[in-house]
Amino acid sequence: MAELNAVEIRHVSKIFGFGEFAFAAVDDTSVSIRQNEFFTLLGPSGCGKTTLLRLIAGFEYPTSGEIMLNGEDIAAMPPFKRPINTVFQSYALFPHMTVAENIGFGLTMLGKPKQEIRDRVDAMLKLVRMEALAGRRTSQISGGQQQRVALARALAPQPKVLLLDEPLSALDYKLRKDMQIELKRLQAETGITFIFVTHDQEEALTMSDRIAVMSSGKILQVGNPREIYDAPADRFVADFIGETNFLKGRISAMNGGIADVDTAVAGRISATVPLDFQASGEVTVVLRPEHATLCPPNQPAACQMTGTLENVVYFGTDTHYHVRLSDGETLFTLREQNKPLQSARFGQGDTVGIALEANAARVLRN
Amino acid sequence: MARAFSIRRQRGFTAIAMTCFFALYLPIAVLVFYSFNAGESLAAFEGISLRWFAQAFENQQVIDASIRSLQIASVAAIVATIAATMAALATTRTEPYRGLTLKYAFINQPLMIPEIVTAVALLIFFARIKIWTGYSGLGYLIAAHTAFCIPFAYLPIRARLENMDLTLEKAAADLYATPWNAFRYVTLPLLWPGILAGFMLAFVISLDDVVITEFVKSAGQDTLPTYMLGQIRRTITPEMNAISTLFLLLSVCVVTVFFIVNRKRV
Repeated sequence: MAELNAVEIRHVSKIFGFGEFAFAAVDDTSVSIRQNEFFTLLGPSGCGKTTLLRLIAGFEYPTSGEIMLNGEDIAAMPPFKRPINTVFQSYALFPHMTVAENIGFGLTMLGKPKQEIRDRVDAMLKLVRMEALAGRRTSQISGGQQQRVALARALAPQPKVLLLDEPLSALDYKLRKDMQIELKRLQAETGITFIFVTHDQEEALTMSDRIAVMSSGKILQVGNPREIYDAPADRFVADFIGETNFLKGRISAMNGGIADVDTAVAGRISATVPLDFQASGEVTVVLRPEHATLCPPNQPAACQMTGTLENVVYFGTDTHYHVRLSDGETLFTLREQNKPLQSARFGQGDTVGIALEANAARVLRN
Repeated sequence: MARAFSIRRQRGFTAIAMTCFFALYLPIAVLVFYSFNAGESLAAFEGISLRWFAQAFENQQVIDASIRSLQIASVAAIVATIAATMAALATTRTEPYRGLTLKYAFINQPLMIPEIVTAVALLIFFARIKIWTGYSGLGYLIAAHTAFCIPFAYLPIRARLENMDLTLEKAAADLYATPWNAFRYVTLPLLWPGILAGFMLAFVISLDDVVITEFVKSAGQDTLPTYMLGQIRRTITPEMNAISTLFLLLSVCVVTVFFIVNRKRV
């Protein structure tokens, strides 16, 4: 027997406003979130990811559709009855309570015995390594510590599902990296299904078991990070996840899953075609910046394209090059890893060639 | 080195500030000073004495008026604060909606309407009710005071609520608190200083009112301010100063208690 999904969203819509001002924040969306999964809703601001999270939490009620929690429809249930807890973007810690009182709040509201609450709060403090600060006011601890308290508070009642609404966005880079690892550890230790909302694609790729990419109230693609990055379902996903180059072309031949695409700027390119996609005629080919390298333009055998180097951006680990291709329009981005003691081989304004790695190109589903 | 602009360093700042403070506090200082006058005059100081305070405490009319004032102010401030708290919750603990600004205007309108207009309106309105019901007790004054105290109590409570993150109640609901429990354990403890401020303000405003009270009161229902007004029409003795000084002391005490209670909560 197949295991029940932790959360199942079935044809859920959420419409705000009336008449001509009506706006679907979530538009007939369906998605299944498995047990013990680290699931991420990823998309730009205004894409509906937070609304979807609020619908699961119960702060909003869907205009239509069903929300199932372990097989039970909870769409009309008020938030205080749902065994789901949330880590808020602003943390929303209660300022008039101590750290320990904050963590114990959910259990107190559930009417648990005092001793059980005390034990559970201690366990939670230990889990997030905050034992020393149990008696502090929440205004007397740092942002990173507040984040941990918010996590402990949401985990203390042992919810079926934990919702995280961009919880790392207020932290600085180093702390954010630490908390990403911390969150993965907590998820593994507690075995609770995490639903994480973010607009940060790097965060989504590094932390998630699966990612749902959203835009304009719809889920465009669900898959594990590798699938989302390597085989983006459409132009929006390809563009939103990482940097991508788009080249227009025309299919001239098909051999199995590989198409020969004639492009204006790069001649003939071999490109992988998605499995269930019948490609023909005009198509768009996507190329990731790290799958191309610069080469001297006087070696036509190695270089598929030539252009003028417009911009060199140093990133520490690697360098990004923006090349204006020979058609004068397309700006091609590529990325090379920096090697020790190696100075830039090319400078701004140089004419350069671009070599593409084998199997790098992929035909985009339009 | 160029110094940053500061209003305090502008020419004449100190002079203007001092003038304002003198204009505000000098008359009060003089009033308080003469309440200790041993003589009968308000102009010639004849030595320090507490005789006018003693006389005020022996004056049955003063005592009755004071008790009446405190009764009206207590009841009016409590009722007004409860009403204002509910109004503030209804106008801030929700996403903004159409008609909200109109509601603010309606709640605050007693502040805009000239008091004398309200007073005349109430006089006529209550006269009709007195004829119908035959009741002529303190209820009319309490009702009138409650009504004009509501916007004063509302302002600090609303200010406090507006600075409170709406997410806090969501977090409480998320952590299994029913709407009542969320209010009881999260909203109310955080709102308490605002409620207290609203109550104090309403209490002091009610205690101080002359215009509406003068119009609404029946015979023998003088509050302390209307009694004082009546006395001053006849003769002025330092007894008035003594009563005013005591009145001032009460107000200062109320405000001080409020500050102390509030500071503990921060």
